[in-house]
Amino acid sequence: MGEVARVYGKKYVLLLLPTLVFLGVFFLVPLLIVVIDSICGSGREGILFNYFVFFKDHVSRTAYLRSIRIGLWVTGFSVIISYPTALAIASINNRTLKTVFMTLMVLPLMTNPVARTFAWLAVLGRYGLLNNLLLSAKIIEEPVRMLYTEGAVLIGLLQLFMPMMILSISSALENIPEDLSLAARSLGASGFQTFMRVTFPLSVEGLIIGGTLVFTGSITAYVTPAILGGSRVLMLSTLLYQKAAVVLDWDMATTIAVMMFLTTLLINTGLRSISKVGKR
Amino acid sequence: MRKFILIISMAVFMVAGGLYFGVSKVYVSTWGFNLDLLDKNISKPFLEKYGIEIVRELGNNSTRLTKLEMQKNDPKIDVVHFADYYAALAKKKGLLQPIDVSKLKNYKDIYDFAKDPIGAHYGIGYTVFSFGIVYRTDKIKEPITSWKDFWREDLAGRISLPDITTTQGPAFMMLINRIWGGSEDDTSLDVAFKKLAEIKDNVVTFYKRSSELINLFKMGEVWAAPVARFAWGRLLATGLPLKWVVPKEGMIGFLNTVSIVKDAKNLENAYKYIDFILSEEVQYAEAMDLVDSPINKNVKVPEEIAEKLTYGEDHIKTLIFFDPNVIVEHRDEWIKKWNEMIIGK
Repeated sequence: MGEVARVYGKKYVLLLLPTLVFLGVFFLVPLLIVVIDSICGSGREGILFNYFVFFKDHVSRTAYLRSIRIGLWVTGFSVIISYPTALAIASINNRTLKTVFMTLMVLPLMTNPVARTFAWLAVLGRYGLLNNLLLSAKIIEEPVRMLYTEGAVLIGLLQLFMPMMILSISSALENIPEDLSLAARSLGASGFQTFMRVTFPLSVEGLIIGGTLVFTGSITAYVTPAILGGSRVLMLSTLLYQKAAVVLDWDMATTIAVMMFLTTLLINTGLRSISKVGKR
Repeated sequence: MRKFILIISMAVFMVAGGLYFGVSKVYVSTWGFNLDLLDKNISKPFLEKYGIEIVRELGNNSTRLTKLEMQKNDPKIDVVHFADYYAALAKKKGLLQPIDVSKLKNYKDIYDFAKDPIGAHYGIGYTVFSFGIVYRTDKIKEPITSWKDFWREDLAGRISLPDITTTQGPAFMMLINRIWGGSEDDTSLDVAFKKLAEIKDNVVTFYKRSSELINLFKMGEVWAAPVARFAWGRLLATGLPLKWVVPKEGMIGFLNTVSIVKDAKNLENAYKYIDFILSEEVQYAEAMDLVDSPINKNVKVPEEIAEKLTYGEDHIKTLIFFDPNVIVEHRDEWIKKWNEMIIGK
């Protein structure tokens, strides 16, 4: 840090200016308007009336809980799958091989989400790849309906956001100096102990960043739930679209948007406080 | 020298301006489909006949409605094409003016159902499409003959129905309500929601676009569904063994309408445009290119064209039309009930 801080000193405000202006005009001000609108309503009802309606309504409550549930599942699964992967990539010493693996991991991020989601239609369809595989392996006797279920949404979102988890964990693992685990081993710790007491605690930051990205992405994604879940799997984002673009109920649309925002904020704070537990 | 250049350029500017304002125009808001064909069948002959240029503003129903609303005090559009539901909505919002039909000489040649679909002459239907049932003849042995067949056990898990938020959705629910015993003026649609709840798990998905439905047929997910006639040509193109059914209760009819915007600046041109698109020659040309099905009764098209259109006495006489004004009045309430039906209590 030292070098940069010494050269630029208090001019950091100037350096921040472009970002501040951009975020201010295109994010903070609109966000403020949305929040105020949703809190005040359109003037007829009292303050917070919209939120009362949101939680009282069976439909929006169900969609909200479903979004959170699917968001948590996606985040959980992506941790379980991503961590070993990231660990494996971090332990590869061959530079070329490492680059190849990293590229493979981020490749899904580079394809268009709409195209990717349509590809899932071909995989999960009744005459799709997965059903054919299961049929020929005699695991099932007739095609199973996989599309337009919560499971399909879960799989689609998992594929969509897992690369972010892998990237966050990888970069956290890469930043751990190699000497630390070597020192632990030389002081008599087993491989498992080294992992539990040195490597894992130091990679928690990556898990938190990854978790926030994956969860936020999952509960706000629109294309994947709309195509793979369809109209039968109503989620918060599809409900938001319906309120904003079909019914033109802007009060409810802004309320749903703010609820999404608050939920991700809450989850992020929650994850951060977990990471502080046990830190000395 | 400098003065000379200035004067010359001013003169050129004035001539160009004069040319620009000299051509009479009509501003038409419509969809962005088949623009080359609209140009060939409407814009070119219209310019030749009347010397009026058609300037189109494109977009889907809801964006164009929003635009009209924003321009309410100073409309840039003279004529607007809408699906009948959106025309009724625009009428309710006070964005249209009544059409003096005595000024239209082709008005007498169109079907009665197209003459005043949204009331008080705020719009005229210029094309019609039917909404019937399509099914796979290789997979479904017992022929489908009725809307009630969607409740059949052998179709469970193989059907798709329109979502309430589609153009066809609300009218479909009104029809279902009626055929399962609801009275004609019942706007609660409780019968329809109750009946639909029985088979909602048999529905693969409630489709939101006709292109989505075509995909579902193509992938083999869906064997039977209510289909709008304008998608029939594309469905046939999949090569699947499909059959179009006119259910015994009849098909639903939908109109696309043409209306004049309130305070339109080129009123005379607007009337000429509307009269022109209702004429036999334009309606014939549009039908032959499969752009729109004709509502002018004098239009005669050959068999192979008719098969892909909403055309012919037998086909037309089965159509049931629902008042779009009723849908405008109740749609939000129906969407609410629909969400509750989907989520389940």
